[in-house]
Amino acid sequence: MQTSDLRAMLLLVQWDLMRMWRRRIFVLMRITWFAVQVSIFGLALTAMVRFRGIVSAQLDYYHFYLLGVYTSMLFSISVSNAYEVAEEFEEGIIEYHLTLPIKRRVLSLGRAVGGGLAAFIFTLPMYAIVLMLLGGGPPEAIAVSLAASAVFSVGIVGLVLSLVLSVKSGDATDILFGIIDAVIVRLSTIFYPAVVLSRVAPYYYAALVNPLSHLVDLARTFFFFEEYRVLAIASPVTMAAYLLGLAAGLVSLAIYIVERKLEGGGWR
Amino acid sequence: MNGELRSSLLIAYRDLVRFWKFKHWLASQIVMNLADVVIFALIFNNIVNREYIPDYIKFMSTGVLSVSVFASSFSIGREVGAEMRREVVYYLLTLPASRWALIAGRIMGGTFRGLIYQLAFIALNIALVGVPNLYQAAIIVYTSIVLSASMSALAIAISTSTRDFNLQATFRALTYYTLFFLSNVFYPREVLRLRFPGPLADAIVHTPVSLASDVYRWAFGYYGSINPLAPLELTLWAFLLLVLAALLYRRNISR
Repeated sequence: MQTSDLRAMLLLVQWDLMRMWRRRIFVLMRITWFAVQVSIFGLALTAMVRFRGIVSAQLDYYHFYLLGVYTSMLFSISVSNAYEVAEEFEEGIIEYHLTLPIKRRVLSLGRAVGGGLAAFIFTLPMYAIVLMLLGGGPPEAIAVSLAASAVFSVGIVGLVLSLVLSVKSGDATDILFGIIDAVIVRLSTIFYPAVVLSRVAPYYYAALVNPLSHLVDLARTFFFFEEYRVLAIASPVTMAAYLLGLAAGLVSLAIYIVERKLEGGGWR
Repeated sequence: MNGELRSSLLIAYRDLVRFWKFKHWLASQIVMNLADVVIFALIFNNIVNREYIPDYIKFMSTGVLSVSVFASSFSIGREVGAEMRREVVYYLLTLPASRWALIAGRIMGGTFRGLIYQLAFIALNIALVGVPNLYQAAIIVYTSIVLSASMSALAIAISTSTRDFNLQATFRALTYYTLFFLSNVFYPREVLRLRFPGPLADAIVHTPVSLASDVYRWAFGYYGSINPLAPLELTLWAFLLLVLAALLYRRNISR
C-alpha cells in the first residue's frame, strides 16, 4: 500500500468517525436503550434464572448477562451501518465515493475500518457502564475485550458492506438485517452458556460458529477466568484466532465485492 | 360523513393490499417472533426458576402474541416513514380525502395487518398452550383489535417524526424495548416485584402490552383468572394512544 493510499484510507476512516460525531442524538438514544436493557431486562432476567447445578452456583447471572448485552449492542450498532450505507445509496453518496480518485480496494478497506471503529467508539460509554456494574476488572481482561471488540466490529461492518452493496435495496436491507440481528443474537451464548444450549444440538453447533459467542466468551473467560473457563465454547487463543480470521475474511469479501461487482445505480 | 368513511376504508384497503407485497418482510418478522419462542424460550426454559414460571415456553408463546401485533402493526409505520423520506406523502395529501380520513385509513390499515399477522401465532398458542372457549375467543379478538389499533397509531406517529432512515429504525427499536421490557411479556409479575420497587412493578402491570399479555394468558388457559378491569384499562389506553398519535401524525404530515 502506497502513502497516497494510506492517506486516502485515513480520510475515509475520519469521514466515518465524523459522521458518527454528527449523530449525537442517535448515540444518546442507543445509550438510553442500553441503560433500559441493563437496568430493567437484565435485573428481571437475573431474578428469574436458577442454574440448577449445570453451571457453577458462583457464577452471577447478572455479570454473565452484562458482557453479553454489551456484545449484542456492539453487534447491533455495527449492523446499523447497513441503514446508513442504504441511505448513502439512496442519496447518491455511494456513487460519489466511487468517482473519487481512490482505489476501490482502499475505499472498501477504509469504509470497513472506519465504520467498525465508529461503532466501537460509539459503544465505549456502554462498555464503561458494564465495567462499572461489574465492579471493574483485571487490566488484561479490559485490554483483550476492547481489542477483540474493535476487531469484531470491523469484521461485521465488512459483512454489512458486502450484503448491502450486493442486494442494493432499502427494503431488502431492512429485512435482511432484522433477521440477522434477531436470529444471530439468540443463537449465541449472549443470554445462556453453551452448556445450556447443548440440550438442543442444532442450536449448540450454531452457537459454536457464531462470532458473537466467540467475542462474549473470550471476554467472559478473561473477566471471570477460572469460573468461566470450563463453560466457554473454546480456549481463549482459539476464540481470538477465530475473531481475527473472521474479520480478515469479511473485510476481504467487502473488498472483492466493491472491486469486482459494484457499479453505480440500480438501487431499489 | 359517508364519503369520509369510504375514503378511510379505501385507504385502509390499499394498505391491506400492499401488505401482501411485502411477503419477504412478513417472513422475516415471523422468523423474528418465532425465534423468541423456538430459540430463546426453549433454551431459557432450562434455566428459569420453576417457582415463578413453571413453563417458560407457554409463558413466552402467549407473550409473543403481543409482540407479533406490535411487529406487524409497525409495518405500517415503516411504510409511512418511507413515504416521508421519499416525499410520497405530498401525493397522498393531494388525494380527494380529508387529512383525518387519511389518518383514520392508515390506522385502520395497520390494525387489519396486525390482526391478519397474528393469526399464525394464535394457531401456535392453540397448539402449545390451550384452546379458548367462545367467551375467551371473543375477548382475544377484542384485545387484538384494540392493541393493534394502538400500536399502528403509535408506529405511524413515531415513524413520521423524522426523515432519517437510521433514526426511524432506532426510534422503532427504542419503542419496542421500552414497551416490552417495561411489561410482563418476558417475566411475570412476581419477578417484577422481586427486582423493582412496588409502585414501579405495579405500574408495569398496567401498561397496554402487559394488560394484553395477561388477557391472552388467561384466554388460552395459562392463567386461571384475570383482573376483570383489564379489558377496560386496555380500552382507555387505546383511546389515549389513538388521539395522541393521530394528532402527532397530522402535525408531521403538515410540516
